[in-house]
Amino acid sequence: MTPQLSWYLALSAVMFTIGVAGVILKRNAISMFMCIELMLNSVNLTFVAFSSFFNNLNGQLFVFIVMAVAAAEAAVGLGIIIALFRNRESLDVDDANLLKL
Amino acid sequence: MLINPIFALQALPVDVNFASIAPELIVIIAGVLVMLVDAFAAPKQRWLTGGISLAGIVAAGVACVLMWNDAGTGGVVTSSFNGMIVVDQMRLSFTFVFLIVSALTILMSMLWVEREALPAGEFHSLLMFATAGMMLMASGGDLVIIFLGLEVLSIATYVMAGFRRNDLRSNESALKYFILGAFSSAFLLYGIALTYGATSTALEGGTTNIAVIADRIAAGTAIYPQLLFAGAALMIIGFGFKIATAPFHVWTPDVYEGAPTVVTAFMAAGPKAAGFAAFMRVFVFGFPLVATSALSIQVHAAWINALVVLAILTMTIGNTAALVQKNVKRMLAYSSIAHAGYALVGFIAAGVTLDITKQNDAIAGVVFYMLTYAVMNLGAFAIVMLIARGGDRRTELEDYTGIGFKAPALAFALSLFLLSLLGVPLTAGFIGKVVVFRSALDPAVMNDYRNVMTLLVVVGVINTAISAYYYLGLIVVMFFRERTTEWRAPRVPASVAVTLILTLAGVLYLGVFPGKVIDAFRRNAINVSRLR
Repeated sequence: MTPQLSWYLALSAVMFTIGVAGVILKRNAISMFMCIELMLNSVNLTFVAFSSFFNNLNGQLFVFIVMAVAAAEAAVGLGIIIALFRNRESLDVDDANLLKL
Repeated sequence: MLINPIFALQALPVDVNFASIAPELIVIIAGVLVMLVDAFAAPKQRWLTGGISLAGIVAAGVACVLMWNDAGTGGVVTSSFNGMIVVDQMRLSFTFVFLIVSALTILMSMLWVEREALPAGEFHSLLMFATAGMMLMASGGDLVIIFLGLEVLSIATYVMAGFRRNDLRSNESALKYFILGAFSSAFLLYGIALTYGATSTALEGGTTNIAVIADRIAAGTAIYPQLLFAGAALMIIGFGFKIATAPFHVWTPDVYEGAPTVVTAFMAAGPKAAGFAAFMRVFVFGFPLVATSALSIQVHAAWINALVVLAILTMTIGNTAALVQKNVKRMLAYSSIAHAGYALVGFIAAGVTLDITKQNDAIAGVVFYMLTYAVMNLGAFAIVMLIARGGDRRTELEDYTGIGFKAPALAFALSLFLLSLLGVPLTAGFIGKVVVFRSALDPAVMNDYRNVMTLLVVVGVINTAISAYYYLGLIVVMFFRERTTEWRAPRVPASVAVTLILTLAGVLYLGVFPGKVIDAFRRNAINVSRLR
């Protein structure tokens, strides 16, 4: 049985949903951040699947850009998390309640 | 070895045209220069960084004006880098707005970085990179460039929000902005990926070029039309977060309250305008209505209806939530949400107008609205910053009690900005609302949407009336309440005084003689990004 495009799309949709659920349910800043990375990677899978099934390079190029952006985001995000941890000694986002929602 | 014919087709000549990205290049070079100066200059020469940034902004403004004149004389480069960059009126007008926002922010920040002993060079270079990101969002003709611009802007702004590293509120603000910003970028990205796939045809792979997307939808050759709806919906969520429309606005008040006031002023004016630039580019030009294509009609109706709901929710939630705020920064944050709703009305008008000239007018109206909002908002925040003093502590409504006659100049200036935010005639805010609502009621609007647009304008006007309560409330607190505690007027440093004079002049000029600016934004009515 040859792999179909829809398999990849379904897998990436499931991964994306797991990432969204994780960001909403997790209470630890690092875990939330990892779930966001999961979302970005599921998007990459979608791009690569389309790119490879239609012999078009645009999608693969987009994936490189997404990876570079994710790396930059990780650097800044971890920096922000460390700054918060230094001042509060907790990564639980429920403790970050100085500004009322 | 056989060369895959599709890959061979893609080997187009590289259409390099640095002149078409001159403003962006100048701003980025200035940002790098600022970093170098900051690294090598003696501590006493740190003020140089602000000066270099301002010079860069002015140079970019000159480049922008030169391109503006070129675009009028017919010697037009409509796109470059194989469609990655577009040169049209909308892009240049938005670029102009971003440059004004950055210049005013730099003027405001000079005092602040000095007073709080923060690294000025880092702040100014981040601000320059954020500006370059905003400009790329407006000039991108391809979803890649829009996404990159958005990320360059967002990453710089995350850092700026958390710039006061030892202040817990600033940390929290940065964390919330970062988590929700990255979350929304992921939604936007998934929307782009699905649109890319959905526009594949039997012969070619998908595309991320906005003009080609429009062509493919109109031609009806896309193989997965259903994915297009999912893609558009996810992109609406992603952009909706960035411009803070309800129900994607929950991060806004927290982030705006916690971030340093200068950064809040910048975030409310700049990134919001940039979000509108990219949002309009993608939806008005990428998913336009083409009467001959069934798919195009469906997609168009879907996104217009979604935006109508968003606009009504945004105006109503923004204004009603602002009524109960006790903190001035939070109140202005909700007011900023409400203003995004008013601007959305103009955006929808651009979407439902088929006449290209009128559509251009509607887009120019939104740009003008963003300009007026930027000017009055930055002015208001400059005064909030002065009254808050060191550490941004005094931002509660009580801190404004009875200051009206102790610092009359500041209080009157703040009142003028608040009246302009409310939309009182002879101020910029009034003309902004008139321009936006007029394009919504224009006879060129498609028949099917006449009633909807009227409804939007009615909701907008009712909301303006509601907003009078909290804008005038602050004025009443300043002038008609007795103060029991000691209060001395803050010193107004030269750079902030310049900001205030410029914003005051801007509010009055745009309010009394708006014609010239609107005409400049409207000129060159050919919609080049559609003609390609």
